[in-house]
Amino acid sequence: MSEQAANRNARLFRPARGCAAAVLLAFALVVLFAGFLAPYDHTTQSRQAISAPPSTIRFRDGEGHLVRPYIYARRLVDPLTFRYEEIETERYSIGMLVEGEPYDLFGFIRTRTHLIGILSHDPAAPRLHLLGTDSLGRDRFSRLLIAIRFSLLVCPLGAALACLLGILFGLLSGYAGRLVDTVMMGAADSMLALPTLILILAARAAFPLELPPMRAAFLLVVIFALTGWAPMARLTRGIVRSLMESDFVLAARSIGLTEIRIMFRHILPNAAPALLTQALIMLPYFLLAEVALSYLGVGVQEPEPSLGNMLAAAGDVTQLTLRPFLLLSPAIVIFIFVLAIRLFAEESPNVGREQERSG
Amino acid sequence: MLLVVSAIAFVLLSSAGGDSVSALRENPQVSEQTVERLRSVYGLDRPLAVRYGAWLADLLRGDMGESISLRSPVSRLVFSRLINTLKLGVTGLLIAVGSSLILALLAARLRIKWIDRAISLIVLVTASTPRIVLALFALALTVALAGSAIAIRNDSWAALFLAAIVLAFPLIALFLGQADSELKRAMKLPFIQYARAKGLSETAILLRHALRPALNPLLTIFGLSLGALIGGSVIVESILGWPGVGALMVWAVRGRDVPLVMGVVVISSAAVWLANTLAELLQLVNDKRMRDTEIDR
Repeated sequence: MSEQAANRNARLFRPARGCAAAVLLAFALVVLFAGFLAPYDHTTQSRQAISAPPSTIRFRDGEGHLVRPYIYARRLVDPLTFRYEEIETERYSIGMLVEGEPYDLFGFIRTRTHLIGILSHDPAAPRLHLLGTDSLGRDRFSRLLIAIRFSLLVCPLGAALACLLGILFGLLSGYAGRLVDTVMMGAADSMLALPTLILILAARAAFPLELPPMRAAFLLVVIFALTGWAPMARLTRGIVRSLMESDFVLAARSIGLTEIRIMFRHILPNAAPALLTQALIMLPYFLLAEVALSYLGVGVQEPEPSLGNMLAAAGDVTQLTLRPFLLLSPAIVIFIFVLAIRLFAEESPNVGREQERSG
Repeated sequence: MLLVVSAIAFVLLSSAGGDSVSALRENPQVSEQTVERLRSVYGLDRPLAVRYGAWLADLLRGDMGESISLRSPVSRLVFSRLINTLKLGVTGLLIAVGSSLILALLAARLRIKWIDRAISLIVLVTASTPRIVLALFALALTVALAGSAIAIRNDSWAALFLAAIVLAFPLIALFLGQADSELKRAMKLPFIQYARAKGLSETAILLRHALRPALNPLLTIFGLSLGALIGGSVIVESILGWPGVGALMVWAVRGRDVPLVMGVVVISSAAVWLANTLAELLQLVNDKRMRDTEIDR
């Protein structure tokens, strides 16, 4: 991209970059505190509220005074279109930091405190569904948070591993030069040109369809790393080649440093900023690959929610006609995440344009 | 390269945990003898290297074996689906390339600020809308408009265009961004000044002189994006019900149908490789005299 165009983009997107950073921070918080932010456990089913719309939260009582927010209990009136009717005599208040179902904060601190919930210990009390429930009566908001946590843990892990592989590959190729370089870059180019998603699917087909979530996640990380290293290798190699000709490398060599030291202490740190941007830009592709696999039913499987298998529910056309936006809420989350990453990484648009992969 | 990919895929598919027949073991009504007989019928009991050798020899004769779950020859299955995917892919590419070129040419010709901004915005939005998101919204929209999904579950023109637009969407970001900056760069080359001095109209300069050097980098990313296009077709075809290779691949993976998976991998890789070579050839044709003028690279 020309310098002028780059400036133009910088001007257009400067405030947006701050917003993007804030959004990414929010995603990070969700990853850390998903269990706390979610009002309920993501597997608990509520038989009284199947495919229910979001709870209507009310702030004023019958006389119009501001009161503590509350919801009414609901009753299913039409099982065909899943229409619910509020029972105005049964009022339940909403509170902050309420006791609820137990969960593990950060994976090891057992606690029962949730950020919001219904202030009632009556087991028959209605549940607070910010985004309604799915066809098994599970709280969609809670599932969405847990899904974000899962997807945003697996994908950066896969991306990190792929980057590591790619950087090592590129360093070696750029540093060795000649025949090694030709062969290694030939491999990287072929890898880039191959249909990645088809390869990922083929690799996935080698393993049993039903896998426990942790093993499936591990498998996905490994597959992503093995199929996604090529862009990084290409970029690293290019940067290494150009840095090799710089004066500081000549200086380092002339004072007799070892090649390994030059490579890791002098060349790599100088390449780091561009590589980091590239790593950031690659992140959405891994997220989308996970979403695609889980959507197709070969990634993470129920009951463990992931953005992909939550979207699979949108394939149910009758549900889709009833509440399109609720069913597509994971899609909206994906869009926001990818947009935020793009805006945040906008500083060096050249890097991103070169790769357009699965998804 | 194809050989390496196919060998790796074959070993992976055949070695790790079970094949399409072993799933039958979980069915109490199927006896162990039946499973063993089926395995020998499909040659699954022979050693791995032998099986790969046999598969390769068959491939050279144009025979890719029989799909285990669909019971018909893999080559026929894949090729009939490939035509559908090609139809979709070519339409998508035409949409992406056409709209990006037109927009970029307009921007380069008119040089109005808000058009430039609009292009930046379009690039950003199209780049961050994944196909899976767009396809699901397209499905929701069709369902809302037509009342059912049947409207798009056939091979009408509307279905083709809908799927092609979804497929083309992320490519627009790629092509538009590149075409825009390349055209602007080309317009600053010395021979453009010369053409201007000759008194040619801006439109003629743009179309006859600037477009050509700008086309080459476009052809490069065109070649690179083909793999992504086939990958993207997996999603688009599965969601919008287009009977192409992508949907077939999903079926094969779910059924752990090794011959079919292998067939799709080999044929789609070969197709991408072929198209890539074609893009490189086109580049050579276009590049013949331009090589020297690529100065400010």
